[in-house]
Amino acid sequence: MTIAFKPDETFRGDFRYANSPAAILRFPFPFDQDSYMYGINMEPHTRSQKGGGQMGGAFAVAFDVDEHYVAECAERAAVLAADPGRCQVLPHMIEAEWDTLELIMESLSADYPEHFVLERQGNDWTWTNRPLGLHQRFRFGDVSSLPHGPFEYITRQAQGDFTLQDQRDGTLYMDGGIATTQADWSLSFDLGMTFHEWHGPVPLAHQKGVFERALSYLMRVRYGHPARRLNWTMTVHPRLDTSPENYPVWGPDRTTLTADNIGETLHLRVELQTFYRLPRSNGLLFGIRAYLASIDELARVPKWGRRLHRVLRDLHPEIGAYKGTDRFRALAVAHLARVDDGAPTSPGIQPDIQSLPA
Amino acid sequence: MMDQPVLALCVAASEALSPTLRRLTLVAADGGRLPPAAAGAHVTLTLSVAGHARPLKNSYTLVSADPERGYTLIVRRTNPSRGGSQHIHEALTVGDGLEASVPHNLFALHSQAKKVLLIGGGIGITPLLAFVAALRARGGRFELHQICSAEEQDTFAALIGAQPGETVHLHAGRASFDAAAVLGAQPLGTHVYSCGPAALMDAIERQAAALGWPASHVHREDFGAAGGEPFTLTIGSSGARIAVAADQTMLEALEAAGIDAGSLCRGGACGVCAVPVRAGELEHRDHYLSAQERQSGGLVMPCVSRARGDSLVLDI
Amino acid sequence: MSGQDIKSRPIYTPLARDPAGRAHLLISDGAAPSPEAFAPGTSAADFAEIWNVMGHSQALPAPLAGSGAQAFRSASHLLDMLRHRLARETMGLRLYAVGAEHFCWDVAGCASAAGMGREEFFLFATGKPSRRVVCVHCRTLNAHVRTNLITCAGCHAQLFVRDHFSRRGNAFMGVQLDAEAPGETIDLEELTS
Repeated sequence: MTIAFKPDETFRGDFRYANSPAAILRFPFPFDQDSYMYGINMEPHTRSQKGGGQMGGAFAVAFDVDEHYVAECAERAAVLAADPGRCQVLPHMIEAEWDTLELIMESLSADYPEHFVLERQGNDWTWTNRPLGLHQRFRFGDVSSLPHGPFEYITRQAQGDFTLQDQRDGTLYMDGGIATTQADWSLSFDLGMTFHEWHGPVPLAHQKGVFERALSYLMRVRYGHPARRLNWTMTVHPRLDTSPENYPVWGPDRTTLTADNIGETLHLRVELQTFYRLPRSNGLLFGIRAYLASIDELARVPKWGRRLHRVLRDLHPEIGAYKGTDRFRALAVAHLARVDDGAPTSPGIQPDIQSLPA
Repeated sequence: MMDQPVLALCVAASEALSPTLRRLTLVAADGGRLPPAAAGAHVTLTLSVAGHARPLKNSYTLVSADPERGYTLIVRRTNPSRGGSQHIHEALTVGDGLEASVPHNLFALHSQAKKVLLIGGGIGITPLLAFVAALRARGGRFELHQICSAEEQDTFAALIGAQPGETVHLHAGRASFDAAAVLGAQPLGTHVYSCGPAALMDAIERQAAALGWPASHVHREDFGAAGGEPFTLTIGSSGARIAVAADQTMLEALEAAGIDAGSLCRGGACGVCAVPVRAGELEHRDHYLSAQERQSGGLVMPCVSRARGDSLVLDI
Repeated sequence: MSGQDIKSRPIYTPLARDPAGRAHLLISDGAAPSPEAFAPGTSAADFAEIWNVMGHSQALPAPLAGSGAQAFRSASHLLDMLRHRLARETMGLRLYAVGAEHFCWDVAGCASAAGMGREEFFLFATGKPSRRVVCVHCRTLNAHVRTNLITCAGCHAQLFVRDHFSRRGNAFMGVQLDAEAPGETIDLEELTS
């Protein structure tokens, strides 16, 4: 698989970031119809070629590596340098940490053999990460043989946030995680919460029983049968760190949008959430992989431009408010109205085209 | 993401521990690594047994699970046998291949336990052996009581291999095990795990509850309620009849017959595969329908639910 | 900033003895548990063992007595003794805590640390709301918060006091109110719960 990494991209400050045409076409567009409401949109995480193109679809692999990989790992390292508390794991989850390291190393080396290599002789493992220039010998199970705890070590080499769930007492406890690309939730504050507690702030969904069913489904995820779903929000600039901790830094961005700049500045932020049962700990790993594309980039796919316009125009006000779009939603709708000719759109998320119109 | 949810295994060793107990060691048929598993996990073996038209699927606890050294299980020869244990004791030999599910765990150690109390009856010792190994490795506090016949005491003692300082008791028969005294002496924060005959596990549950233990601290072996009895589906519009096997979901049977019921989560939570029912009693196992919808019997989730009797007519 | 219909905010049910428990210990952070904390038909008299906080240094409790009323010098003194007591207890104990919200969750913390599950302890918060608020930006713990807005004692941000509550941290979350538009504010109000 050819990936043209763009190591000089930034997700803060000068925001040097853009999606190549291939990246746009494989973007995990989250809306399968012209309106949006919360639901249990979980499905088995099986390989499928949605998105297509030379890079392969975002759902074709276990953990997706794309052209932003090198730059995102550098961004993660910068966030952790400023705030090590963005990665915390409670002590009793140490087996889940090793499970995560094993799962990600096995997956990356199987899905991208030209970029990642895992060699194992009993508990003596050697890991090679070519894009980041890493070569590490270590003993599986021995924390002193790695430069960081196993969970932090491997998630520093993966795109997206991750949380570790302990399954006990009929619910899931978030007992570990790394959050450097989150959409406005605090790992430090939420660490140790149950599924219902950490979802406490989400409006509407509780009344519809969405969380009861989602929890029930997740607790029955079996080893070898991972699941996935898509979530979305909107971000001003291609900024990955939209943590509550740094809200004073990124909050002001929301008031800087104008009719002239909104197309390239407002980004749809899609989370590809994956759910894996971990074998040695019997815990659950949640992957929260963030994809960013500007609304102008997405509108280059005619179907997506029309659909995004309609979804935002008709969005339930409480959902819009919770997703932080109140200040700019009207502006975004007006901007996207220009690409919506009212033509019907096909059901499903696929772009319906193989290359972008000029 | 798994490409091989079914494991191709091969018998590496088969050792008689006693006249009725046999220990199997299974490794990957291709010599590769096997998936790891947490103590308390089980695998479901597919056994092709002479005299049975369809292969038997029996679940066994993993006494140990090492990705390179393989899985060990201990099987009791039951008499009468449905065929599985007899096959393992008398027909299966070193070198034979067999299929297994990947490990699945419904009986894992609780992460917040300050102490673990293990109570086993007979072959119920198998998950407890896995727990003991895990607790020893992490320095966890435990106490083990194994109930077995006088003749089997030595065999079980050897399997447990009690180390100095460990609290391990073998009891010859249930009468000599004072559950109330043992449960009553446990410190706050103890979790009890019992595995053996249903009557033993029921008695432990009752006794613990009587002593004020919360249900969350009382655990019993559970292989899960997958599958059930076979039944026949009738497609209302065509009259076509489809057999749903014991180890097959209704959704799988429909798909195998070329009928696309539509599905998303395949786990009873999303409601996408709901099909209308014309006739037949239902065993609902989903988490989507309301109590009212279940009672009215007009809809069913074929991905997890089944017929309560031997037939069901779908209004499709 | 969305409305405060946050489901993680604990809701307190008036206390009654759990019939499934073997032994019961009632704890309050005052001279006696407030009567409003009990379900109809129940009172402090139904509990064989009660721990209260006298608030003076001469109290001499017997924390391992197992019955009767014990008087502690302060909440800290009581919690310290509670840890000792729980370390010597056997399965079947139920704990009941009445008092300021943060005191109740301190008791819950002792219970969890001793391996007790959520069905083994019962809490009822009383008194005027007085919250511990963690500033999510600088992690300073602001204590005794009685209003919906405060100035963080650490980084001086104007914080909105959310209903999002951490049981592990025994604190509510404070988030800068005017991060998007400096100076933008809402009416200052006393907390009602």
